[in-house]
Amino acid sequence: MTNKLLDIINLTIRYDTESESVEAVNSLDLTLNKGETLGLVGETGAGKTTLAKGIMRIIPDPPGKIISGEVFFEGEDLLKKNENKMREIRGNKISMIFQDPMTALNPVINIGEQIAEVICLHQNVSKAKAIKKAQEMLELVGIQKIRFNEYPHQFSGGMKQRVIIAIALACNPTMLIADEPTTALDVTIQAQVLELMNKLKREMGTSMMLITHDFGVVAETCEKVAVMYAGEIVEKGLARDIFRNRSHPYTIGLFDSLPDINEDSKRLKPIVGLMPDPTCLPIGCNFSERCPYRTEECEAEPVNMIKLSETHSVRCIKLRNMKDGDIK
Amino acid sequence: MSTLLEVKNLKKYFETPHGLLHAVDDVNFKLEKGKTLGVVGESGCGKSTLGRVIVHLLEPTDGRIIFEGEDITNLRGRELKNSRREMQMIFQDPHSSLNPRMRVRDLIGEPLKTHKFYSSKEEYEKQVEVLMETVGIAKRVANSYPHELDGGRRQRIGVARALSLKPKFIVCDEPVSALDVSIQAQILNLLMDLQDKMGLTYIFITHDLSVVKHISDDICVMYLGNIVEKCNAKEMFENNLHPYTKALISAIPIPNIDIERKKILIKGELASPINPKPGCRFAPRCIYTEDRCFKEQPVLEEVITGHYVACHRVRDINKNL
Repeated sequence: MTNKLLDIINLTIRYDTESESVEAVNSLDLTLNKGETLGLVGETGAGKTTLAKGIMRIIPDPPGKIISGEVFFEGEDLLKKNENKMREIRGNKISMIFQDPMTALNPVINIGEQIAEVICLHQNVSKAKAIKKAQEMLELVGIQKIRFNEYPHQFSGGMKQRVIIAIALACNPTMLIADEPTTALDVTIQAQVLELMNKLKREMGTSMMLITHDFGVVAETCEKVAVMYAGEIVEKGLARDIFRNRSHPYTIGLFDSLPDINEDSKRLKPIVGLMPDPTCLPIGCNFSERCPYRTEECEAEPVNMIKLSETHSVRCIKLRNMKDGDIK
Repeated sequence: MSTLLEVKNLKKYFETPHGLLHAVDDVNFKLEKGKTLGVVGESGCGKSTLGRVIVHLLEPTDGRIIFEGEDITNLRGRELKNSRREMQMIFQDPHSSLNPRMRVRDLIGEPLKTHKFYSSKEEYEKQVEVLMETVGIAKRVANSYPHELDGGRRQRIGVARALSLKPKFIVCDEPVSALDVSIQAQILNLLMDLQDKMGLTYIFITHDLSVVKHISDDICVMYLGNIVEKCNAKEMFENNLHPYTKALISAIPIPNIDIERKKILIKGELASPINPKPGCRFAPRCIYTEDRCFKEQPVLEEVITGHYVACHRVRDINKNL
């Protein structure tokens, strides 16, 4: 049975500057099934946003270029589509929510029109109908429709993010890419927005790729998790694989860095060092420099993904010869 | 233990075209030497303003700030400058709080120069070197500019600047919010080590509740300029009494799929702090309100020893009281 919605194969995206080139996404494979929510986790510079923009084909070129790979969406390779075809997909079948609600809206157009715009563009409906639909969308995300004619500056951060969600969902997309949708929001507002996104996902059956650095948010929304480090996926699996059985030293390190509110540990265990310079990545494992389990073998050659179970795979040499769990 | 800092009825209002903005409204607390007071709340609750008023970056509208038994509220000129040696601040954004045209060594040495904190050029150089070592910045970056460094290193420079005058007290205003988790843990550990080594006292301002629990001895929760609850860190998470604190703590996403929690979702958003209505500031979003909540403002009272709450209905909501 094929219920693969998105299938990314061997995708490489490179940024070229005058003196250097950076492979922000490096031979990446990832799949998303229909109706699923995938959490893409990683720190600044891991390549999460580049990947999302690559799927949408909105990488600024120059300096960015998709070097190789295929991105199958509903069985068709997005990278082979021409710009006109892509425009029909963006905002219609695949929508994106950007991180910063303060800058994602046009400040001189009222929010109602910004929602109606996307409907007019993609659906063959009259202006009046588009406006009606836009008002429904507003109500759906919990904003009264009398505020239809107001401008972005009249809304708070949380409200703006709701408007952006309304725009993203206006055409009932098959897939939603949410790039750090709640990072700029306060916790109580974050809770409201996550609740809203979960509700809409249930009601509209949208598949979602949620990009975040917050494992707490992932725990509340995602069925699947992929952890990204320096342009590569280092561990992926079902939420329970990652939360109960995490195996890559980087994933383990990330969890250990988090202050746990349920425990009284007084000292955190940070990962030593910094992410490697993306212009000169090591030959072997990208994480080897910071890894407490490093061996010579790790630095010798690139590491492939190793399957620990049907659903769970990890990019780490140590785990190749080891039974699951030994590393912890 | 001796009290290092006491804040009495502190108020900070801002004039705006629409009326008076009550950023900090009647805040009281005492802070003991060597301890950390965490101040949490959402954006706009006045926590940063509170920090800035205490270190005299803003003039208080009313109230008193007492530091080591001395009233420093109305210090001016030279006396103010001297008092600033004792109280320093670490800022949120390591990208914009450092002068992009100064080198690392000059950035760290700047406070020393301002306060003439050395007797010879050699001593100055030595002090900068020691500071860099203390906060863990490698010597080789001494001549770099801030843009050449990552966020974690830049924040270490911020910490070094704050430490340079050997202060007794530091206000940390969201020092780790702009950093990645693995780097955030490094900076938190650094701050805690320095506290142990130098006997520093912190006010730690943040919106991140798991961070504040980790670093603080006492925590106070602010809402629209008021402190609504204050007690020790453990108690705040295990036995919180104010409806806002309950909602706030239940809203933290926990990175564990095996813990089932019931979320208390609160409706709406922060009301405007301009000309606030009488009554409890949280009342419009609170699910337990009665008439009184909209008429009189609750005062912070000690409900259990060391545990202060400002809520009319605290005894009705919490059956264990």
